[in-house]
Formats: sequence, C-alpha cells, structure tokens
Amino acid sequence: MFADTYTTALKGYYLSETAVTVIFADQIGLATTQTITNINRRLLANPFPGFKAAVPAYTTLTVYFDPQQLIESNLQGWDNLQKVVNYVSGFPESSSDERSTAAIVEIPVCYDAEFGLDLDQLSLNNKLSIDEIIQLHSTTTYTVSMIGFTPGFAYLGGLDKRLFAPRKPSPRAAVPPGSVGIAGEQTGVYPLTIPGGWQIIGRTPLTLFDADLAQPVLLKMGDQVQFKPIDRITFNKLADADQN
Amino acid sequence: MQIKINKPGLLSTVQDMGRHGFLSQGVPVSGPMDTLSARIANIALGNNENDAVLEFTDAGAEFTAESDILIAYSGDGAILKANAFTLPADRPVFIPENTTITLSPNPSGYRTYLAIAGGWDVPEVLGSRSTYLPAKFGGFKGRALKANDKLNSTRIISIVTQHILKGLINEGIHYPKWSVARESFLPANKFTISVMKAGETDWFDVNSLKSFFSASYSVSVNSNRMACRLDGPCVALKKKRELLSTGVTAGTIQVSHEGEPIILMADGQTTGGYPRIGQVAATHLPLCAQLRPGQSIKFYEIGWDEAIKQYLHLMQQLREVETTIKNKFGDL
Repeated sequence: MFADTYTTALKGYYLSETAVTVIFADQIGLATTQTITNINRRLLANPFPGFKAAVPAYTTLTVYFDPQQLIESNLQGWDNLQKVVNYVSGFPESSSDERSTAAIVEIPVCYDAEFGLDLDQLSLNNKLSIDEIIQLHSTTTYTVSMIGFTPGFAYLGGLDKRLFAPRKPSPRAAVPPGSVGIAGEQTGVYPLTIPGGWQIIGRTPLTLFDADLAQPVLLKMGDQVQFKPIDRITFNKLADADQN
Repeated sequence: MQIKINKPGLLSTVQDMGRHGFLSQGVPVSGPMDTLSARIANIALGNNENDAVLEFTDAGAEFTAESDILIAYSGDGAILKANAFTLPADRPVFIPENTTITLSPNPSGYRTYLAIAGGWDVPEVLGSRSTYLPAKFGGFKGRALKANDKLNSTRIISIVTQHILKGLINEGIHYPKWSVARESFLPANKFTISVMKAGETDWFDVNSLKSFFSASYSVSVNSNRMACRLDGPCVALKKKRELLSTGVTAGTIQVSHEGEPIILMADGQTTGGYPRIGQVAATHLPLCAQLRPGQSIKFYEIGWDEAIKQYLHLMQQLREVETTIKNKFGDL
C-alpha cells in the first residue's frame, strides 16, 4: 500500500478515497516541522487540479482532493496516491530565508495558583520551585509543531527537559479556555472549554480561537511562540481588551 | 418559506456539505452524518448540493409549516406524517401552510434529512452552514434546534426548483409519482461494512485482525456525531507502539489504548494519535450513520482500488440523477 516515488524518498498512503497522507519523517523534529510548513505553503500557493485542503501534522501532510478531477489531471502517476506523492515531492526543499521569517507570537500568561491548577503537583514531581517552573517555561522559544485535536489547539515543541510531565491519570471534565498545559515533551494552550488531561500551569487572557473572525486561529504551524509572565491585574486588563 | 419546531426530537441540527477550509486549523468538517441521504433530499428538490438541510436523529421531532412549503426528505431515521397520512420520501412534497408534520418511528435507521426549496437560511460561519456543537458555532445559533425555533428557507431558488414548485402547488399535500431511487445507491446488505487498510493496520497482531474482520460489533449508546463507538472483541497491537498524531477523517477506525475500535464520524477531529486499523469505504459510511445504538455490523476487507472505483461510480450515478431532474424541469 505504500508508494515509492521515482525522484525522492517520500512515501504516502491513502487516508480515504479523497485524501492521501504524505510521510516526511518518522520522528518529531524542528527541521521536519519547517519542511512540512514550507511544503504546505507551496502547495497552497500552487494547488493541483482538484486540490481541496491540506492538513500538516508532526511528520505528515494530509492532502484532500476531488478524486475525479485529480485522476483526469495530467499529474505524473498511475493513480491518485502516486499523483499526490509525486506532486508534493516535486517541491524544492526549504530555503534558509523561509526559516528566519517565521512569526514570533508572544503569549502573556498568568501563572497564579488560581489558574495554574497543577503547579503544586508539578513542583513536587519534578523537584522544581514554582518560580523555577515559570522561569523555565517562559524563557524558551517554542515552535508550533502541529495544530489539531480541537479547533486552534497548537502543540508546541521545544519544552525544557526539566518540565517534561505525563498526562494526568484521568482527564479533567472541563479545562477552561486559555489554560496553558504540559503533556509529555510538549506544551500548549487550550482554545476552548473541553475535557483534557494536560497538567495546567497557567492561563492566557488571549482568545486562541474565535469562529467569528475570518482568521479564527491565533497560531499556525511553524510559528515561533514565547510565553510572557503577567500578574493578575494585567491579566484582567488584557482580558477586557481582548473582549473589545 | 418557514417552519416552526414544536418538538426538537433527540438531536436536530442544520448541516450543509461541510466546512473544508479550516481543517489545517483543527476545525472539523462537520456536515451530514449520512451524506448520501442529505444529497438525495437536495437533488429531489432541484437544490444545490451544498444547500443546508436539517438532520434529525431518530423519531420524535414535530414541526408546523408556517407558510406553504416545498420539501423533500431522505434517510431511514423516521417516517414523516401529516396526521395519519404518510409523506413519501426521496421526492419533492408540497405542504400547505399550517400543516403539522411529525417524525414517526422507522426501526430501519437512525437519521433523516429534511431539505427545503432554496436550502435552510442560516448564516455561514467559516465558509459553511454546518453546526459544530462542541465549539458552539455554525448552523442555527451554534446549537441544536429547540421548541419554538423558526427556520426560514433562503430566497435563492433555482429555476428547476421553481418549475417543480409550479407543478405541485395545490390546496392540499401534493407530490409527484417519481422519486429518487435511494435504495439503488445502497448495498443489499446494510450491516456488512467495507473497510480498507489504514496507516497502522500492519501494527495489529494477526489474531486481532482475524477477529476484527469476522466478529460482530454493536454500536455503543455512547456514539455521537463525533464517533461511532463499537462494543465487541478488543484488538491488540503486535507490540506497544505510539503513533505521532496525524491527519484522520470521517470513516477512520481508530483503536483506543483499551483496544476498542472507534469509527470517526462527521464531527470527528482533524488529527488523531491512536493507531488506525482500517478506513470505512466512503460508499458505506452512510450505512454507519444510519445504525441505531445496539445494532450489529461486521467488517469486510476490500482493496483501495475497488473502494475508489465504487466511490467514483456512486458520484457519477448521483450526477446522472441530478442531470435527469434538471433536464426534466429545467427548460419548460
């Protein structure tokens, strides 16, 4: 079921009759994130006949299409799987220019105990003071390695090893929106009130997902992210400003 | 045209053919669970294929026509009745003002689609009229329908629909002899579901795969628009392995850490991290959407080439029906 291409090592498989997943690597990595981000951008700028959408993830790019239009196209390949894999393989590797132009998004976070529901537990388990946790979490520049799971949920790679923490044994029934959490080697922000098992260490007053906006999601794959500690008063001010 | 909901039933939402523009931002497609029945309801009216329809779950809903209306319904979740009079499915039906329609039980399925001339008029959110309940947006005010909600049709009515309406306007309920032969688009056996290999099918042990393709699975009461959960034999991986989250879609069969197979449906997430044992054929996904909790299915393995051939054939058949209706009513 896997298709090799003539020109490169890229492989892919059918996800459905109307989608093909192209595989770029077998593990998470900054270079892979950048490659997939760039290829996705090129694909959106140069769609093939019947192209509908693309979903980048940690190591894959899933491409959705109209199967009739694609099979009738003159793209190289004897079936839609080959056609998509060959087309995506045809894009050049990323250039260093593109890497340096990634946006840096600053996300203010209040790490007060009121919001950092699992700070005490994390402090105990990882043998760090709460100040050390805040310091480690807010001095790293993260990269969005994937958006998924729920609208606007960004998985951020680059977490300091000392903050690695497992998911909670049983997930919370409702995590408040804006909650900043840690799971395994990743950190991220909950955009909506949903059930979740990440260890919550703070909250941002920013809205990460708003369906009423033309651009509903604050972050996108490949973006650079930094967290900035704020106090409760600043949190309130920013929350009010964000509402308006 | 307008209706008023008297009883909303178990779960009733507005859906068009889905939200495809924001998948990369984690926004699911949504849309009808049974896309075939939704399309047939629109085709029977001369509507556009992406016009919004109402999705009713099971029987129990009731609504009143607040003006003369031209509707078509399709799907096996309920039989539409005006008093004791049964309205035929899969064709246009003219209903005069003040008629009350009830959805009475139909044991053969679970979901029914109601199209109206011109489509239901709700605002587009992120390029679609589909309701996405988990994030409370799209459709009718981002929620399921409630008693006393009033829904209107759009004023954009195709020439085909106008001609159908002209031929059916009457004092009472009126409909033509013809209908779209929905059954001809469906397999004779509705409880054997064709499944293709997925990304991680080879990760599962041989005995688990054997059991998956021979045992009966029944639809759990915990199923919803996001996922069809299955009760039956658990399946196991050859060895413990973690999958990095990657794109998933409607019909993807994920296996939870407990070994429970779960079919992702219309509101399913855009990416997932559970190993995938298979992918339900797109032509059979409407069968899954019509399963009532407790009903049993079996899985049957087919190849991708066969699945794609069947899907393209179905799309071609639907286009032919659409063209037939357009030719019949387009140029009077």
